Amino acid sequence: MSDLAQDTPDTTSAPADVPVGDPTVSVRRLSVHYRVPSGEDDGSGQAPGRLRRRLGMTGTVTVRAVDDVSFVARAGEAIGVVGQNGSGKSTLLRVIAGLETATHGDVLATSTPMFLGVNAALMPELSGLQNVRLGLLAMGRTPAEADEIVPDVLHVAGIGNAVHRPMKTYSSGMGARLRFAIAASARPEILLIDEALATGDAASKERSEERMAQIRQQAGTIFLVSHAAQTIEEMCTRAIWLHDGELVLDGPAEETARAYRWWAWNVAKGEHEIAADVLERCRARLRATLVRHEDQTGRHIARHST
Amino acid sequence: MSTTKTPPSLRVEDVDISRMRPVGRRPGLFSYVRQLWGRRHFVWADSRARAFTGTKDTVLGRFWLVGRPLLDGLTFYLIFGLLLGVSRGIENYVGFLLIGVFLFGWSSQSLNGGANVLSSGKNLIRGFAFPRAAIPLSLALRETMSMGPRLLVMVAMILVIPPHAQVSVYWLIFPLVLVLQGLFNVGVVLYAARLTHAVPDLRLVLGFFSRLWLYGSGVMYSIDRFVEHPTVLAIAQLNPVYCVLEISRDLLLYARMPDLTLWMTLLAWAVATPLLGFLYFWQGEEEYGRE
Repeated sequence: MSDLAQDTPDTTSAPADVPVGDPTVSVRRLSVHYRVPSGEDDGSGQAPGRLRRRLGMTGTVTVRAVDDVSFVARAGEAIGVVGQNGSGKSTLLRVIAGLETATHGDVLATSTPMFLGVNAALMPELSGLQNVRLGLLAMGRTPAEADEIVPDVLHVAGIGNAVHRPMKTYSSGMGARLRFAIAASARPEILLIDEALATGDAASKERSEERMAQIRQQAGTIFLVSHAAQTIEEMCTRAIWLHDGELVLDGPAEETARAYRWWAWNVAKGEHEIAADVLERCRARLRATLVRHEDQTGRHIARHST
Repeated sequence: MSTTKTPPSLRVEDVDISRMRPVGRRPGLFSYVRQLWGRRHFVWADSRARAFTGTKDTVLGRFWLVGRPLLDGLTFYLIFGLLLGVSRGIENYVGFLLIGVFLFGWSSQSLNGGANVLSSGKNLIRGFAFPRAAIPLSLALRETMSMGPRLLVMVAMILVIPPHAQVSVYWLIFPLVLVLQGLFNVGVVLYAARLTHAVPDLRLVLGFFSRLWLYGSGVMYSIDRFVEHPTVLAIAQLNPVYCVLEISRDLLLYARMPDLTLWMTLLAWAVATPLLGFLYFWQGEEEYGRE
């Protein structure tokens, strides 16, 4: 592995050790294809296409945002998802969150995942405090419970007096921290974070990491999307690398993040041959996952009948 | 968990799915209603928090809650009352017009609000897992709450402006009309929310539909006097808002018991629209988080 990671000094601290438990999310042969409008000519030059363009109905192309991805996430794991912009990371997360529907394949989970997206403000007109209360109530808390949890949420968010200001005046980092604090207060079994924590400063990052460790210790699973390999290395135990919707590598966070970093560094330097080689070697190392679903009760019956 | 018979490049994961469920599936109707009941505090807090936000950036603020229907009424009075003279033969035209404008406004704002409610609530929808019907229901509640001050102004005005309306025993029945209209509006919000989410183009056609509804409800003139074709009249009289306006005017202005047909038509709408609207909205539950 060291040959793929020549550029990274070994300074990162690994996340806290938590034993890995039962599966919480099962992603089986998942593909998401979009039909998106595109000005790109499909080359057919046929009249219907031209006519439709003239009428302002643009042609469409199919984008394979996620292509045949399989993996199983377990309790106690913090799984990083790396990849360059547009590689399907966010789409994968949104499908796991149930906000998007898969074209093929399926996603099973032990509970409804909590999703933290990139959009910072919930209700821009309302103050941070009102947003916290509203968020807690939306997650099914009673007003009394919400009142009890609010101070805790504000502590984790650590944005001080800004909680009384409308959320539209927040910086993206402040908004993201507040949203993380709200989501984490629910102690979700499955937490999906899309680039949300990359913007925190040192003090708030520490509090967020602490809260993430707590979630994992309570048999939770965390997914963290980032194109910053450093963040993944610091916060995750395992990482998967998506490239153009394809699963390139799935392994320990350090290994995957470093391979990805080495690849990205070469792409940035214009060393496309080395980059392609890195990609190829990772693909070769990847052990494709075959997910088999079985129901304990169902299997029991099957055994006796055969 | 992996078996030995597979090639080394393949990792077999046997997953016990007895505790697992597919993500993003809509729950059954019964458990949906139960979850929704669990979010009642959210519906309440959301509608309170967002009430009046529409006029927050204006100088006069909450005045516009009643200011807008008043200006509408004034415009109609100038054009239809003075210029076109449709008021002739209508007893207490000012009261007639005020009731029309204020009560029609409740339903038409439910329609317009419902058309935008899912896009304005998309941050909440993407951020938290809850039955999405909470969002349109909160809007319906919000519209109902802002009807409170409007009704007070309306009643005050029809009492103060000559020829003064007389308080009669029929006024006691008026709240029932409001309940029926409120129920109908809940259905309108639910339908508008899903329809415009599925076909965004409908939002552009909404203005035309609102206007048609306005003229078809007899807000500023009496439909019975202008429509002579019996079939057209029959269709116009099936309009629930027409029923609301006719009943309210009979009760508040003319101190007489409204026609039973009007009551029955309104009752049918008030029961069917919210129930069917709820079922319709629930069936689309999986769509609302998509971009």
